[in-house]
Amino acid sequence: MKRLLAMAGATALLLGLSGAAMAQGKTITLGAAVQLTGSLANTGRYYRDAYQLAIDAINAKGGVKVKGESYKLALDLLDNESDVNLGVRQYVQLVTRDKVNFLLGPFNSNDALDDSSVAEKYEVPMVEGGGASGQIFARGYKYIFGTLPPADEYYRSTVEMLGKLDPKVRTVALVAADDSFDVSVAKGTRKLLEKAGLKVVVDEQYRENSGDFSSILSLIKSRQPDAILWSGHEPEALNFIRQAKSLNANPKYFYSFTVGVPTADFRTALGKDADYAFGMTPWLPSERLTDEWFGNAAAFATLYRQKYGYDPDYHAASAVADVETFVKAIEAAGTLDPKTVRDAIAKVDFHCLYAHVKYAANGQIDLPQTVIQIQDGKLVAIYAESLINKPLYPIPPWDKRG
Amino acid sequence: MLRWAAIAAVALLLALLPLYGDAVTIQYGINALLVAVLAQAWNILGGFTGYASFGNSTFYGLGTYGTAIAMAQFGLPFWTGLLLGAALAMLCALLVGIPILRLRGPYFAIATLGLSAALSALVANLDIAGRNIGLILPLTRNDTLFYEASLALLAAATLAVAWLSASRFGMGLIAIREDEDAAAVMGVNTTLYKVVALVLSALFTAVAGGIHAYWITFIDPASAFDSTLNVRMVIMTVFGGPGTVLGPVVGAFILSAIYEALASSISTAAALFFGIVIVLAVIFMPRGLVDLGWGFRRMGPRYLLETVRQYRL
Repeated sequence: MKRLLAMAGATALLLGLSGAAMAQGKTITLGAAVQLTGSLANTGRYYRDAYQLAIDAINAKGGVKVKGESYKLALDLLDNESDVNLGVRQYVQLVTRDKVNFLLGPFNSNDALDDSSVAEKYEVPMVEGGGASGQIFARGYKYIFGTLPPADEYYRSTVEMLGKLDPKVRTVALVAADDSFDVSVAKGTRKLLEKAGLKVVVDEQYRENSGDFSSILSLIKSRQPDAILWSGHEPEALNFIRQAKSLNANPKYFYSFTVGVPTADFRTALGKDADYAFGMTPWLPSERLTDEWFGNAAAFATLYRQKYGYDPDYHAASAVADVETFVKAIEAAGTLDPKTVRDAIAKVDFHCLYAHVKYAANGQIDLPQTVIQIQDGKLVAIYAESLINKPLYPIPPWDKRG
Repeated sequence: MLRWAAIAAVALLLALLPLYGDAVTIQYGINALLVAVLAQAWNILGGFTGYASFGNSTFYGLGTYGTAIAMAQFGLPFWTGLLLGAALAMLCALLVGIPILRLRGPYFAIATLGLSAALSALVANLDIAGRNIGLILPLTRNDTLFYEASLALLAAATLAVAWLSASRFGMGLIAIREDEDAAAVMGVNTTLYKVVALVLSALFTAVAGGIHAYWITFIDPASAFDSTLNVRMVIMTVFGGPGTVLGPVVGAFILSAIYEALASSISTAAALFFGIVIVLAVIFMPRGLVDLGWGFRRMGPRYLLETVRQYRL
């Protein structure tokens, strides 16, 4: 009997834990479960910091106006410990127990895939800036919106630029990981290349998290493509470059990566070997991107660095756009009713420090990538609709570098 | 009599939870119940025969994929998916068990170690399983269904173990654990017994995987064939009391609660503290919570010192 009492007690204890309701004054609460610890914490921190910075900036300028009344924004942020099951549970908690008004997203496509189901189940809109996979937006969900550009368009600006460079690229090696995001990239890129009349001479998929590229690199050595278009994750990109150097495997003119190039980690890890690498980013902290609350993207980047001690990248800017989307939509809707706000989000159309925010019918925004290159250890913007700076092209082979 | 009445009361209390618990509690309940099923299923082979299986995360993955393939690729109803997943997992258990369980000792554990990685790689290259991209299941708004299904499954698994512990078959399994040679001499067909236990274990594990897949709505090879899940099954069973009827369930509930409490209060150090709890448990109660309960009744706090002395830790 005693044992059973103990058991019942333990059950009651575990059911009664976690989360007390938040006080609701004249505030609008945005809820999110983000990776603050665990394997994805390194990128998760961008979301925590950017959400908070955006909310502070908006509150400092008077908050959100709903029918003449002014509301402050508040953030209810939980740590999902990079655990998908915990994340789902926390989003349910945010909606049902903490009674947040709206949801912001986690980082990572797989998390967004699971967590968006909670938004859909409870019909509370979620705007996420951490998952780009097309799968999130292909399910016909009505309550999920995303501010990362679609994966299959990642190489559009790069392919466009290749058409304008001399010497001309005619053959391409396409190397992509086998996960959801990179398969979409490869699929989209194949179409883009076909349209541009470029020939794919190497088309290889590699297993996610595998560090060995020697067989793909020797294939590249023997077929001698003019360019390599590579897609995967940052640690794999580092491995690819290191192994290409040690095998002296070179494309004739050009190589580019979907990830890694914009981050400072990539440049510190590779040192001089990072030079010449092309990449892409949907966002650069430029003064041309004006913003209602921060002034412009450059001012935002400075403020962010001052406050948190590291530079923001597109994850952070995308997170700010998520918060601003809610402000615009709530003010347009004139109510906090989730269904009305959801319809207002579908109609928002504004410029901010991240981009021109306007959601397509499936809920994802369209955003051209800016081609970038590492030149002498520095990140240089090269191409977006037209050439911005002079690229170092063609890329010299490994054995001819100083 | 009183004991059974109390168990029935707790079961009723749990079954009616959707009436008085809120949505978060139900979410938590689904996770805790499914993990308890996994621990209970692991207990059937691991607890009774002493053969540690690291293949149970494979059965879980097969159950997950069976359900997902049936629902996402063929539009079949949920229960068909569960059946398909269970069939796949039991077949796998049979194919793996027959050759390997003829061997004695640690070979079984070693042979099952690589199994989930191998199947994860296999699934990542199958078009019907969505390759490494994963599969998306249809969304359903009925969390009560998932909760009750998980509870029913745990009840079924626990009843199966209760029957096992009183049956001739269960005695045979225990005999294998205590002395396999002696068991064989007494006429226990050891290979057959072990394989049947493994298949039974695979059945419950796979159904738990199927329920989880439909609940979470998205699966990929990495999440389906997660080998850390297998480690959790072992820890929870050993914590609660291997080879007992209620031990694994109690162990799973308590460890889930500890994990949840640590996660919500001191999230960064949660993993560390969780580890400390496990270490203390292994030192002071190597035979599980259930044995601790009996021991305390018999000799009070002296039990802790006794176990430390007895196992020379």
